[in-house]
Amino acid sequence: MGASASSESLVRLDGVALTFAGNSHRKPVEVLKGVDLEVGSGEFVSLIGPSGCGKSTLLTLVAGYLAPTSGRALFDGRAIEGPGRERMMVFQQPTLFPWLTAAENVAYGLKLRANRGACADIAAQVDHLLDLVQLTGFSHHYPVELSGGMQQRLQIARALAVDPQLLLMDEPLGALDALTRRTMQREVLRIWAETRKTILFVTHDIDEAVILSDRIYAMTPRPSTIREAVEVALPRPRHRDDPEIARLSRHLSSLLE
Amino acid sequence: MSRSFYRWISPIAVLLIWELASRSGLVNALILPPPSMALADLVKLIIDGELQKALWASIYRILCGFVLAVTVGIALGALMARIRLVDLLLDPLVELLRPISPLAIFPLAILWFGIGDASKIFIIGLAASFPVILNTYAGVRSIDPNFFRASQSLGASPTEIFTSIVLPGSLPHIFTGVRLAWGISLIVIIAAEMVGATIGIGYMVLEAQQTFRTERVFAGIIVIGLLGFLTDLGFRRLRSALLPWYRET
Repeated sequence: MGASASSESLVRLDGVALTFAGNSHRKPVEVLKGVDLEVGSGEFVSLIGPSGCGKSTLLTLVAGYLAPTSGRALFDGRAIEGPGRERMMVFQQPTLFPWLTAAENVAYGLKLRANRGACADIAAQVDHLLDLVQLTGFSHHYPVELSGGMQQRLQIARALAVDPQLLLMDEPLGALDALTRRTMQREVLRIWAETRKTILFVTHDIDEAVILSDRIYAMTPRPSTIREAVEVALPRPRHRDDPEIARLSRHLSSLLE
Repeated sequence: MSRSFYRWISPIAVLLIWELASRSGLVNALILPPPSMALADLVKLIIDGELQKALWASIYRILCGFVLAVTVGIALGALMARIRLVDLLLDPLVELLRPISPLAIFPLAILWFGIGDASKIFIIGLAASFPVILNTYAGVRSIDPNFFRASQSLGASPTEIFTSIVLPGSLPHIFTGVRLAWGISLIVIIAAEMVGATIGIGYMVLEAQQTFRTERVFAGIIVIGLLGFLTDLGFRRLRSALLPWYRET
């Protein structure tokens, strides 16, 4: 592998387009068109754009649930072919298995590839992950018994359990109330800092993107492409009332109009 | 007074009026014998061991047919829900056979399998499999598609997805289907034993009616009622034990 600049990026999309095929009743839908995007290892990158523009679809491409119609989607220099443990999705609705307890949800991925006799090891890892997302003491609760914010933290812990390189977060805070949302933004940053994972984050909240990200890709309406990549080279923790933050937010919202 | 106290009033009142009406000669005891006589006959049936023999014959047929229906029903329902070709091939058959009363097919079952256990097991297996097929199908289809994506990303193979997502995810629906199947099994066995059998609760009741031992008809009905009530109670207990996470919406 050459030591070119591109080999450093963990995710790389080159001219990616996606069209959902039509049939006799429906016209084909062109969702993405000529998307170029890069996410470096350890970076926190956000995608913003008008609703229905294909931000989430872009995540499903990187997750490997869908393949691009044309263009190249690369992870760690190799073409993405289907889902894999190195790229974990955190869904907008907490997609926790309701028949498993909090601890069992986190252990799910660990048990799939476990050797026999690794149970004690798994239990220790599960405890550690529940501590990390501050759900200590909730290991025997079922998802229905947890609040929305707790469910999202549990979903993050389940994704982290298989030690992915990349977390794909699809509006993970979208369903939370405003107060919980602020808290969870800090939580996501803390988890990112502690685990050093790369995060590709979808949101429609411009302030949220500016508070969290190293770089923000603003997308156009459908068929969607990248309008502008905005670097946010400000120290964290960031505050909404910081004039520089406000300036970036205004710039981004002008891009989306 | 507690709620349970009030719940006992109407059944006891009905039994008392009934008892008095037939003992006083207000109604013909041959047609409507007093409940105490039915109870006495039930005790006699138990002491003679006749009830146990009849009950066991019926329960054996119910269990065999029920297990057959549940096994086949879950397998077919899940395959139809997951594989489009299986759905296309089997759905017309299910929809054509389902509305036919199992009793209409029973004469054929006797012709094919004789008057013994096999014809009853066949007819229960057939009739009780439909609610299991339909509910399993609905259960598998009701699973959030993102569950499959999440488990794929976590590294689950197709077999692991089936055992760790498809089965537990559809279990609440499957359970409803299984409970319905049990109810159908109880109904079908009694009817089938009345049409063609030489032993069993249904046969016992019919024979009692034909020999004018009406108290025995009632004794049989009591046993059938208790069997249904107690087993359904068991199913409800089993559900809260098996599905502690499930919340009915």
